[in-house]
Amino acid sequence: MITMNVLRALGILMAGMSFANLATSAADDTKQPTLAGKLTITGSSTVAPLVAEIGKRFEQLHPGVRIDVQTGGSSRGIADARSGLADIGMASRDLKSDETDIKGHVIARDGIGMIVNAANPVQSLTDAHIIDIYLGKVTNWKDVGGSDMAISVVNKAEGRSTLELFAQHYKLKNSDIKASVIIGDNQQGIKTVSGNPGAIGYVSIGTAEFEAGQGTPIKLLPLGTVAATVENVQNASFPLSRSLTLVTKDEAKDLPKAFIDFARSKDVHDLVKEQFFVPLAE
Amino acid sequence: MAEMAITRKNNSARDLGLMLVVWSATAIIIAAFTWIIGDFIIHGFERLSWSFLTTSPSNAGRSGGIAPILVSTLLILLIAITVALPIGVATAAFLSEFTRVGGRVRQITTLSLDILAGVPSIVFGLFGNAFFCIWLGLGFSILSGGLTLACMVLPILIRTTQAGLSSVPDEWRRGASALGLSRGAALTHILLPAATPAIAAGLMLGIGRAAAETAALIFTSGYVDRMPSSLDDSGRALAVHIYDLTMNVAGGDANAYASALVLISLLILINSVAVTLTNRYGSQRITAS
Repeated sequence: MITMNVLRALGILMAGMSFANLATSAADDTKQPTLAGKLTITGSSTVAPLVAEIGKRFEQLHPGVRIDVQTGGSSRGIADARSGLADIGMASRDLKSDETDIKGHVIARDGIGMIVNAANPVQSLTDAHIIDIYLGKVTNWKDVGGSDMAISVVNKAEGRSTLELFAQHYKLKNSDIKASVIIGDNQQGIKTVSGNPGAIGYVSIGTAEFEAGQGTPIKLLPLGTVAATVENVQNASFPLSRSLTLVTKDEAKDLPKAFIDFARSKDVHDLVKEQFFVPLAE
Repeated sequence: MAEMAITRKNNSARDLGLMLVVWSATAIIIAAFTWIIGDFIIHGFERLSWSFLTTSPSNAGRSGGIAPILVSTLLILLIAITVALPIGVATAAFLSEFTRVGGRVRQITTLSLDILAGVPSIVFGLFGNAFFCIWLGLGFSILSGGLTLACMVLPILIRTTQAGLSSVPDEWRRGASALGLSRGAALTHILLPAATPAIAAGLMLGIGRAAAETAALIFTSGYVDRMPSSLDDSGRALAVHIYDLTMNVAGGDANAYASALVLISLLILINSVAVTLTNRYGSQRITAS
């Protein structure tokens, strides 16, 4: 009986579609319970374009489902998941050890690389150099093996999880960082550094690699001995990398679980790569 | 005679200097405008096509078009104008015609409006999110976005309309009351038609500010780039789309430029339609009354 009702509902839904389509869809849907309803997902503006694309593909597979993606930052994604304002939150970081009241589901990885202008002769910087530069102790490239040129420090705006990750890795306090330019997003960082020969900044490796490949005059610096490449982020050998995480209040079930499983599956690896992130290891 | 000649010579030198300053200021403005438009056209024109306007975005907006975004933008603007115009004109009429010059009501209201007009748009965005989306339960929707923009546009609209009404000479009011017209009739038949150009200017400033709005919309009408099926749906506005393409999507620049070109064309279009309507409507009302 239930199957009959489902079939009838599907029939009404797809009245405009051809009979052949109806037959195949109905056959697909009898194997698993029909998914229907609306999912609201909020959070990180870094993760949002990826999840929106995954959502579109999910909607195509399950015509009764609507997935609304909203942005506002990782903190907001976690807060909204916790308060129930959103079914799923998005965060561009791993959950902290004290965030045990919520569940995290990693869907992809992202690496942060230090970038300088392509015209800058510096080939690598030590961790100590980077810390000194960001604390304003070194203000000229000649002190770290470069030419005589003032360093323009590009930092992210407060609240960005990239900044959180960067500051955590170098054990810096944001209030101590002496920034010349404060930027919001990866693209803005790349634009700032490509337009300023003395600038140094940190952005997503996926994005930086793509832009450098497109001829944007920027250069990714290795971290210690590890080159800043997508491969090294995937095999987790690159230290400055992060997870893109979906967050739910409780153990996900029903529609949220189906969506999260789909977002973690191989079916979306092409979408992850299209957004210049690194898919989960297979 | 000689002295006069010298002063005249000085005067003409001064005139020449002033003219140079004025001309170069104008030239700078025109050059800046041409540069911006030229930049958009160079970078965005080849992406612009009929299918760009009629297809949905794909691959996070890098490819595909902007059809749902264009529709959402127009719906948001429509709601904002439909709500703001009557409230704005009524408030301006009240302030200008029914309160005393220098009276407390007018002073306090005018001051609050001027402060509101200068409030950063992100504040309106957060207010709209808290009030319309959460408190009124409208959620992320085109309705929430439109209402938030209406709040944002109101101060500008009221102040320009008020200025327009104040600039109508008092003789007209006295003439109207001498002819036995009620205050309401004088307002609808004489004062408001006379102030129509000011109302239109205020509306244009308002629409300009509204259409260019990102911060107030990202938390109210939201980020969803699906074709809206009702006003309850979340819908991404053009400015939000441009912001997202430039800031969050690597390789989205070309479509961002094309979208910006569409946004500017849309503004020019709305502007010229409004100016045409104002001229026709305004002159008709004055001659008819």
